[in-house]
Amino acid sequence: MESLIKTTTKERKKIMFKFNIIKSLTLGMALILGGALIAPTGLEAKNKFVFANSSPYDTMDPHALYDVGRVAYRINLYDGLLRWLDNPPKLSPWLADSYDISEDGTSYTFHLNKGATFHDGSPVEASDVVYSIERILALKKGAFSLYTGSVEPGSTKALDTHTVQFNLVQPSSIFLATVPAIHILNSTLVKSHEVDGDLGAKWLSQNDAGSGSFELDRYDPAIGFSAKRFEDHFMGWGDKYLDEIEFRTVIEINSRVLGLMNGDFHGTDGYLPQDQVKRLVASENVDVQVEESMRIFYVILNHNREIMQDINFRKALSHAFDYDSFITDILGGSVARNPAPMPNNIWGNPLDEKGYSYDMDKAREYLAKVKKPIPEFVLGALAGYGQTGQAAALFQNSLTKLGLKTRIVEEPWSVASKKMRDKEQMYDSLFIWRSTYYADPNNWIGEMYACDQVGARNNSWYCNPEVDKLLMDARIEPDQAKRSVNYKKAAKMVMDDAAGLFVYNTVWFGPYNKNVKGVRFSPIGNAQEMRWVYFEK
Amino acid sequence: MRILYLLVNRLIWFFPTVFGLLLLVFTISHIIPADPVAFLAGDYATNEQIADLRAQYGFDRPLYIQFTNYVMGTFQGDLGISLYTQRPISYDLLARLPATLELTFVSIVISAIIGVPLGVIAAVYRNSVADHILRLITVSGLAIASFWLAILFQLFFAMELQWTPLQGRIDGWGPDHITGFFLLDSLLVADWESFGSAFSHLVLPVSTLAFPAMATIMRFTRAGVLDAINSNYVLYEQAMGIPQRIIVWKYILRNALIGTVTQIGLIFGILLAGSVVVEAVFDWPGLGLYAVQSIMNSDYNAIMGFTLITGAMFIFINLLVDVLQGVMDPRSEL
Repeated sequence: MESLIKTTTKERKKIMFKFNIIKSLTLGMALILGGALIAPTGLEAKNKFVFANSSPYDTMDPHALYDVGRVAYRINLYDGLLRWLDNPPKLSPWLADSYDISEDGTSYTFHLNKGATFHDGSPVEASDVVYSIERILALKKGAFSLYTGSVEPGSTKALDTHTVQFNLVQPSSIFLATVPAIHILNSTLVKSHEVDGDLGAKWLSQNDAGSGSFELDRYDPAIGFSAKRFEDHFMGWGDKYLDEIEFRTVIEINSRVLGLMNGDFHGTDGYLPQDQVKRLVASENVDVQVEESMRIFYVILNHNREIMQDINFRKALSHAFDYDSFITDILGGSVARNPAPMPNNIWGNPLDEKGYSYDMDKAREYLAKVKKPIPEFVLGALAGYGQTGQAAALFQNSLTKLGLKTRIVEEPWSVASKKMRDKEQMYDSLFIWRSTYYADPNNWIGEMYACDQVGARNNSWYCNPEVDKLLMDARIEPDQAKRSVNYKKAAKMVMDDAAGLFVYNTVWFGPYNKNVKGVRFSPIGNAQEMRWVYFEK
Repeated sequence: MRILYLLVNRLIWFFPTVFGLLLLVFTISHIIPADPVAFLAGDYATNEQIADLRAQYGFDRPLYIQFTNYVMGTFQGDLGISLYTQRPISYDLLARLPATLELTFVSIVISAIIGVPLGVIAAVYRNSVADHILRLITVSGLAIASFWLAILFQLFFAMELQWTPLQGRIDGWGPDHITGFFLLDSLLVADWESFGSAFSHLVLPVSTLAFPAMATIMRFTRAGVLDAINSNYVLYEQAMGIPQRIIVWKYILRNALIGTVTQIGLIFGILLAGSVVVEAVFDWPGLGLYAVQSIMNSDYNAIMGFTLITGAMFIFINLLVDVLQGVMDPRSEL
């Protein structure tokens, strides 16, 4: 067989001739590909804005989900009675021109804008508002739990075509703050697509029944959605606007960043890791807008654990986390230190309170006072959210120096969120963010440490009757000044109790194409409302 | 007759195999302490509200009842409803299947077209410079992580040279839906702009997927050719004066390819698995991306549906490979 392997030059040429045909074909294909170079997309010429989003748009039903990652379709295709705008967020009239609150604080009457129409041209009426809130309560998904205990099914009334009244079970000073989450549907349209009492869920999962600034044009759950400007939107349009918006799902961070640098996208989420933000800042195509947000990063301590009942142990933990190193070195100073259980930039924050600092000597002092044996301490972190793992590793390092036995458990959100609701399964500590669903201190301290939220929004099982009374009173007190006093007192008590470790206030680094202007950031919505955005010609 | 026997034999095993697969995936996905309903109900839901919703979806029932219901539904063509999209799983899967199949088939064809001839060259010129270079390519193809390679391709070909699109499947939303395969659909309606766009968007993801597949095919072809070269029948054909090119490309290659064809069947499964990473990096709206999202959300029905469809495809391709093998090698035991 050596003879075959060592073929003559002539034979080799013959074999190579055949190979060359294949090679030529391959090269030919490469040339075709070469010819198919990317042509300029011309998106800006079409006045079309493309946003790369990290979360998939599983559904177009505004009542099915209530999360931050998929807010774009809710606020661009749908309107609410009120809307949170700007930073710090202001509750602004939207579909409702005005509202009245009854003296006992249980009745809220909204007066609708008479010029508002849905995308099919039919007017927005009070009956649509009633249908929308009833649908939210019946579906029991998304934002429905915001209204549990305050809005009962059947209690909301259409007083006339343009007046709707919410009748609460009890006074609530936070109800108004949650009203923007009621996205108003075209009830006639949705009802016409109801199948087997599904409240139009199947149809609405891929169609649009809103009155928002943009109307759905294309939707593909695998890709995202595009929407065209709704010219007849009741708020009107100035001379600067987008004609089309497209929100695409791009899960991979690197792909979002490269796409933005390459001009394929005009914007992406503002909570990217700092190394990616630095790449974007250095890019000539990208402007990074900076705003202090209201998302806070903190550590939930599980107060069900026996050792956690000892305040000395909790204080030792509070002094054992190296806040400055984490913020300055690991996060490159991209966040703001926040020692309190609510954002720096919301009323009711005890700004004069310094909170805890990293001090291993003090940590040792407090630890020496702990009489009971300290079991292995589990540090929970969220898989896929590297920052929580980094924080856990930093904390573990300090705790090890203190002689504690620790273990880091990193699990995906779907697992962690279940454990957080079970006092036995809950980690001893968990690094986590608290996002902004509505701009009221109750969104943070009022839920994180209220006794009635234990196991639901209060995942530390901390329940201090004094703190709880302050929080409960603040929930029904209509005067914001009085509420502010309560929240400041409650926050100080929570901090004195070392009920958790409060680390930082997120800063939003919104990366946009240099030609994009008019972005209005609000912590609720994360600047994804597109009606003010335009391209600079 | 042998082929018929093979088909019947494989079909008999198809159902127990799929059943076993479903049982395994169902067990794994349900014993993970995740709660998709809690996410669906929102951050503000109380435990009672979550329990109500769980009951509504039947997740409060014993696992064996849930599994039995699922299997019964599957036999009736009902793969259930996605917790997140509220649409039938079959709808969501079918919407994404063409994207993955297009990517996988093009990758496998490209890898075979390049891998087989290079494997032959490497064998015929064993231990030559060409062989060493090809071996280096082979080892690289097998060793380099797809994730890293994909980003490298993006940085170089899309960002630096600007030759290819960075990501996505097509500019805009693609041609009107006929089959869901963009290349085919654009050809059918003679939409050359869409064809060019779909083609150029395929380059980087296909290159990423095809590179390791090509390396495997090249290795197996080389080994097969070297094995065949040493056979007596080749010596006999040479003695008969048959031209070398015919000996190599007709007789040796036919025998050498038997192992390669088997590998292509296995590679198909590897490519399906690899597409998860490639689809994520290139924002390719296929099954892989759907699987990742479903797993992250613990969308049970979606996970099961993905498993069922990829498992069935894998079994079908391997059946096809077995048949091809039988045709190519009449001596083979079926």
